[in-house]
Amino acid sequence: MYAYNQFDQTLVDQRVEQYRDQTRRYLAGQIPEDEFRILRLMNGLYIQRLAPMLRVAIPYGLMKSTQLRALAQISRTYDKGYGHFTTRQNMQFNWPTLESVPDILADLAKVQMHAIQTSGACIRNTTTDPFAGVSADEIEDTRPWCELIRQWSSLHPEFAYLPRKFKIAVSGSSSDRAASQVHDIGLHLYRNEEGELGFEVLVGGGLGRTPVIGKTVRKFLEPQELLSYLEAVLRVYNLNGRRDNKYKARIKILVNALGVDTFGDMVEAEWALLKDGDLRLPLSEIERVKGFFTGPDYLSNKNAQRNLASTFDEHPAFATWYRQNTRDHKQAGYRIVVVALKNQLQAPGDVSHQQMDGMAGLADEFSFGELRSTHDQNLVLADVAQRDLFDLWHKLQAIGLARANVGTLTDMINCPGLDFCSLANAETLVLSRQINETFDDMDYQYDIGDIQLKISGCINACGHHHVGHIGILGVEKGGKQVYQFTLGGSASDDASLGKTLGRSIEQDQVVVVIGQILDVYVELRETDETFLQLVRRVGFAPFKERVYGTHQRSAA
Amino acid sequence: MALIKDRRHSLEHTATPELRFSDWLNEGLSQDLSSTTAVLTNGDDDLPSLLANADKLSMIAVEFEPFADGRGFSMARMLRRAGYEGEIRAVGDVAMDRIDFMQRVGFNAFELRDDQDVTEALTKLGEVSVHFQPSADGQGPAYMV
Repeated sequence: MYAYNQFDQTLVDQRVEQYRDQTRRYLAGQIPEDEFRILRLMNGLYIQRLAPMLRVAIPYGLMKSTQLRALAQISRTYDKGYGHFTTRQNMQFNWPTLESVPDILADLAKVQMHAIQTSGACIRNTTTDPFAGVSADEIEDTRPWCELIRQWSSLHPEFAYLPRKFKIAVSGSSSDRAASQVHDIGLHLYRNEEGELGFEVLVGGGLGRTPVIGKTVRKFLEPQELLSYLEAVLRVYNLNGRRDNKYKARIKILVNALGVDTFGDMVEAEWALLKDGDLRLPLSEIERVKGFFTGPDYLSNKNAQRNLASTFDEHPAFATWYRQNTRDHKQAGYRIVVVALKNQLQAPGDVSHQQMDGMAGLADEFSFGELRSTHDQNLVLADVAQRDLFDLWHKLQAIGLARANVGTLTDMINCPGLDFCSLANAETLVLSRQINETFDDMDYQYDIGDIQLKISGCINACGHHHVGHIGILGVEKGGKQVYQFTLGGSASDDASLGKTLGRSIEQDQVVVVIGQILDVYVELRETDETFLQLVRRVGFAPFKERVYGTHQRSAA
Repeated sequence: MALIKDRRHSLEHTATPELRFSDWLNEGLSQDLSSTTAVLTNGDDDLPSLLANADKLSMIAVEFEPFADGRGFSMARMLRRAGYEGEIRAVGDVAMDRIDFMQRVGFNAFELRDDQDVTEALTKLGEVSVHFQPSADGQGPAYMV
């Protein structure tokens, strides 16, 4: 993965000292509250309901084991011994003090990490496919391009005070695992009919209050002009995005107001003045960055391979874990291992300091010392030899991270909700607890199969409920926390926005309704039909009838 | 209020222009080429007109009000790209924590808010000394050097 040179290190070190001075002046009463708010947000520091929350950047989800150990150490020294992985592949600490943040940033800088632009109205951490560089269906590795975007966007002087936050995702496979169609900019790396590599550029996607699927603004972009084109989009947005209403300030509102063609024309006019200029990436620079992402020193297939048939027979639980939690690797003899951070005892995405240290050790032992975080709040060991899988599974069990539920109902995305967040209207963690208690039969979950449950505690949609196969949105009505269900969303290549099922459900009825929805699926499904396929085929009527039918009749 | 100009505390503090660019343009003053003029502008003005007329202006004061209105950053960048060599002055709610980025995009003068210490503010220019992106100050990423 990418390693800092002196240039990168200097930038991050100086940024730490800059923020240290800003914190000092704020505490001395020299920076007004509203101004410091923007400065701290640009460094990932929120003031939450109970304490500040610091969001640390994990650029495109990639970490070295040494970095995860440093995060574990930070959680012990400055927090309560755990961290939380977010849907932007970052890590949040929920309990640091405002005064300690400069020291945390200094500790992060020692392991080539930072919190730059993890919040605020600026360009956020670029996210990508957690299987980049290793998946069997990949067209091109997205990581070098993410790194180039990270560098260009870090401390960009022109785009620190945008109308609103700005999120970029990059996908390089036929199946989109980066939710690129619901980002401010989605980039699809592909080869055109002439076999040339380029980007399809989508713009104006997003979730939040006004969920929108991104639209293609440029069909093919030459890779060397990636940064000049991004700069043109950002400049048009910075100058023209609405600033009078923060709920209408995202680029999706501008693109919808102008129409994507007009917006695209404005970008092209600006880009005409930028391309072939300073921002054109030299091939030597692209090659330099690509050089950090060459594959590790894989064993030969013969040495990596292990026939697991008899192990599966002896250890059915291992066979199940292999089926649920590992994926095909482009390198013969290797598997991608997804480590679910979705057990019964912890909130989705939460990880204790012992588990962080444990995972760092397993990465060193089995996966070339690297890990990835995923947008659905799990971890990935990307390069595990077949022969090591059984050993790895045992060791994951020892740290409570061997639950074989990837892709199932309990592998849900969940924002922290009212337990932590000052924006939330409703609790979400109580739902994940209830769901885990109610649907604790793994065989039932396997029978239901591939299903994505996504839960947000407010309309800002950090839990991506609009693109859940089942989405749940917490709202407050008359002092009570109630929950709206949506069905039929997807963030994948077949992206769609879920539609509201009907009126809100009370908190203690949420698991009942999930059960009713799944019952309808089980009764109506055809062979091999997934939940999402069924919703698209049969529509909402049978679900409405099951969930509301009796109530409506009794109320009539 | 103190003025920083060309990286120094400027004691010859020329007043911030009161003439708004839009008035200058609409009242036909742009036709009077006998003297160069200083104008006040912000993100609400028509940027193509400003770019087209910049060569007639000796100073362009860009207003930041509220401070989080980031349009001025792009305006300065585009003025410099268009070849404007006069003074671009940041006025309004201008604090030391934003002048480094302002300088990078092409501002060369900063009228600081009253509570700002000018000596301390000068230390903020170039506080982060390396850059990942080319900008109006001619500095850029390592591969450009």
